[in-house]
Amino acid sequence: MRRASLLPFVLSCVVGLAGGLYYAWQIDPVEYVDNAPDTLRADFKADYLAIIAAAFSSTEDLPRAQQRLDLFSDPDPARTLAALAQQRLAGGHSESEARALAQLASVLGEQPTPYVQTPVTSLPSDPTNTPDRRTPRPASRTPTSAAVPTRTPTPEAARVFELQSREIVCDPALLQPLVQAIILNTRGRNLPGIEVLVVWDSGQDHFFTGLKPELGLGYGDFTMTEGVTYAAQIAGSTELITDLSAEACVDTGGEVYLGSWLLVFQQRSTP
Amino acid sequence: MLPGLALGLLAGILLGWLVLPLEYVDTDPSSLRSDYRTDYVLMTAEAYAGEGDIELAQVRLAALGPQPPLEIVSQAIAYAEENEFGQSDLQVLNQLAVGLRSYSPTAEIESP
Repeated sequence: MRRASLLPFVLSCVVGLAGGLYYAWQIDPVEYVDNAPDTLRADFKADYLAIIAAAFSSTEDLPRAQQRLDLFSDPDPARTLAALAQQRLAGGHSESEARALAQLASVLGEQPTPYVQTPVTSLPSDPTNTPDRRTPRPASRTPTSAAVPTRTPTPEAARVFELQSREIVCDPALLQPLVQAIILNTRGRNLPGIEVLVVWDSGQDHFFTGLKPELGLGYGDFTMTEGVTYAAQIAGSTELITDLSAEACVDTGGEVYLGSWLLVFQQRSTP
Repeated sequence: MLPGLALGLLAGILLGWLVLPLEYVDTDPSSLRSDYRTDYVLMTAEAYAGEGDIELAQVRLAALGPQPPLEIVSQAIAYAEENEFGQSDLQVLNQLAVGLRSYSPTAEIESP
């Protein structure tokens, strides 16, 4: 008797609950109008990252770029940016955009340990906070007190690289003969965003490292044409690597195919 | 019957709004909170200062909604002033506003 009298109450509760949920989820859902960048759809997120890189390219304000990147809680933003540079290039976006992404990836890639941050304007990570931009932003390009080791991005041209090795790569898996370059920093870490110039008798071209992150952030390549001899040079460096041409290789079945060149450069420590 | 229905309805609404609200994960920049929105405009202004490409700046600002780009920048400037942004930030924002104000797409079309 008691159970029978409870049943309509329980049923009406369930119906009410369903109605309440329908109202709260479908008719009048909670509206999120104050979103943070990490909730953005993937394509907007990519655009956001590209703007962070473009702004960095203009201001060279690394702490600020890092604060912006921190909003996405990405454990490896350098790799993400390098991959995005490749995607944007393949997707027909401007080369300058890809270069800005690769440049920021490169600068971040050089920072395995956290550098000392100057008190810059901060972006809030807590939704209840308001932005704190009252502290004037120190100009990142002007030297600050020697006691505060801030980092000034190194101009590309000031970097000095040395050829560590050059070797012919006979790999039948490579469908085309390539000039492959691996560029390492002074600590032997891959260095993305480095421009490599390739010249030959009738023309010239260039490529950047880091645009194929699956092969390493310091990797870049250029497709050679059979019968053409190339020379390669890291932009801003004086060392010219000459006599690069597609050499004949022979596979295990006796078939001849064109091999590639692998050049490994390392940044030299400068006093 | 009615008390049960009312109780269930109330519980459902509370559950749907407070405990298990709908989560938005694929939002667009127009829904950004005003401080992030202002920072987005600031990034666009910083990029414009280096690139000098007003059309690209307009494309970037268009992601923030259907308002005219100049209005978006003006709102950002107002927010920046209200929140005491640094002078250099205000300067680049103003530079973008000036660029937008002086930009006229039809000006490039020359009459014969």
